[in-house]
Amino acid sequence: MSPQTLFRRITDYAHRADPYPLYAELRANGVVRQEDGSYLVGTYDEVAALLHDPRLSSDRRNRTEPDQRPLPVRDDLPPSFIGLDDPEHDRLRRLTMRSFGPPHSPGTVDALHTGITAIADELAGALHGRDRIDIVDDFAYPLPVTVICRLLGVPAGDVPRVRAWTTAIIAALDFAPEQDPEPLQEAALAAQREMAGYLGSLAEGRRGGPSGDMLSALVNDDGPEGTLTGPELMSTAVLLLIAGHETTVNLIANGALTLLRHPDLLVRLREAPELVPQAVEELLRYEPPVQFLPQRTPLTDIEVAGVTVPRGAPLVLVLASANRDPLRFPDPDRFDPMREHNQHLGFGGGAHSCFGAPLARIETQIALNALLPRLEGFRLAEDPPPYRRSPVLRGPRRLPVVRG
Amino acid sequence: MRIVVDLNRCQGYAQCVFLAPEVFELHGEEALMYDPAVPDGQLERVARAVAACPVGAVLAGERAGPGGG
Ligand code: HEM
Ligand code: SF4
Repeated sequence: MSPQTLFRRITDYAHRADPYPLYAELRANGVVRQEDGSYLVGTYDEVAALLHDPRLSSDRRNRTEPDQRPLPVRDDLPPSFIGLDDPEHDRLRRLTMRSFGPPHSPGTVDALHTGITAIADELAGALHGRDRIDIVDDFAYPLPVTVICRLLGVPAGDVPRVRAWTTAIIAALDFAPEQDPEPLQEAALAAQREMAGYLGSLAEGRRGGPSGDMLSALVNDDGPEGTLTGPELMSTAVLLLIAGHETTVNLIANGALTLLRHPDLLVRLREAPELVPQAVEELLRYEPPVQFLPQRTPLTDIEVAGVTVPRGAPLVLVLASANRDPLRFPDPDRFDPMREHNQHLGFGGGAHSCFGAPLARIETQIALNALLPRLEGFRLAEDPPPYRRSPVLRGPRRLPVVRG
Repeated sequence: MRIVVDLNRCQGYAQCVFLAPEVFELHGEEALMYDPAVPDGQLERVARAVAACPVGAVLAGERAGPGGG
């Protein structure tokens, strides 16, 4: 089939369960302009270099070509730092990092360990005696959403609202080509506005009376670089809340799915939990929850693998394809939890490399350690399982397993 | 156990600092300091840091060179 239709085929829901042959086709064809004017890059060296290339913008306002899959643009809030370039991006990311990691708060993630383990053990314990489990709803979803809400300081009772807002926001990314995007975008905008207002007022309520969570820190912290403005705080909090659980759900579910497909390795990891950290890295390579980055744009004409990508064109970095590049990873289609030199791109790279990676790592390690013993005697009820719509945030919608 | 960080490879991503904050420390935004003699209580955290370093710069045990173990 024509390489100009690759992007259409990759985003086509029919290929969600196994997009990897399309990525092989992408790597074989090099950089090709797609029928919608976008350019796709799927080879490791090129993607890795572009992640560090200052000529690429993450700010969609730099697009000149019409955007086929526009994200809802908020009218009343500034973009969050995932969609901004340096120096703005760097300023906001640093201010946010003050309450999350080194150098200012080196112990935050480590201190979450006990709490995450308790939540994971409780969820796993509730699976006892069941004959049928949906690993997504019963385990992979509730763990990260509880953790990020606790970290930010969102009351546990409000998790259902968070879920509803997030679903509406993500749905705008997921529409099928035959669908009219307008109503979805309207709904997403409304959800974003509500979520931003909700988080903003939670933070406001803690001004002057911090309660040890990140919203309190963001509203009260007055470092050498100042503080976030009200609208910046709202955008940042929405970003943290959504990015902080949507992807981790998929990593845990993809992990369980991959191990159920490799029962020998499942047993091995259950018996040797010290192998789990490395196995999580391999999962991030083999089934990355963020398959591609759809929002890069060159600020000037650039050359990628011999092809000129014009200024303003959508340039899509296909992380999941780079992760399977045989020039970088020997036997790339094999899932090998003991793989060495595994510099996967599952968390992106460069200035925008995942802010929450250390948290996602320990959450998934703890999750698998708690879940694997419970899966003894279970098998997949459906293989492949039903997938969520999104080609970007890819993962099972349900992962039913049954005894026997 | 002993560790060595290959500071030529280290990109200052600080993944190690998040995961084992008592062993690795960031001075300012970039300079990484660490304790080459890992206390027993920190072994699990250091193993997580080794797996997480995006450039494989944290070398532990035998890989930390002679006398590593
Ligand atoms: C397995 C789970 C996760 C995966 C696979 C993942 C993946 C990614 C990727 C690929 C990017 C780069 C986006 C880009 O370059 O445009 C990113 C950015 C980001 N992630 Fe994650 N992420 C995960 C978990 C988390 C968690 C738990 C948090 C929050 C605590 C988080 C917060 C963020 C933020 C704020 C950014 C934007 C960083 C920036 O623009 O500087 N992520 N993530
Ligand atoms: S994780 Fe690796 S690259 Fe990052 S600071 Fe530590 S040693 Fe350096």
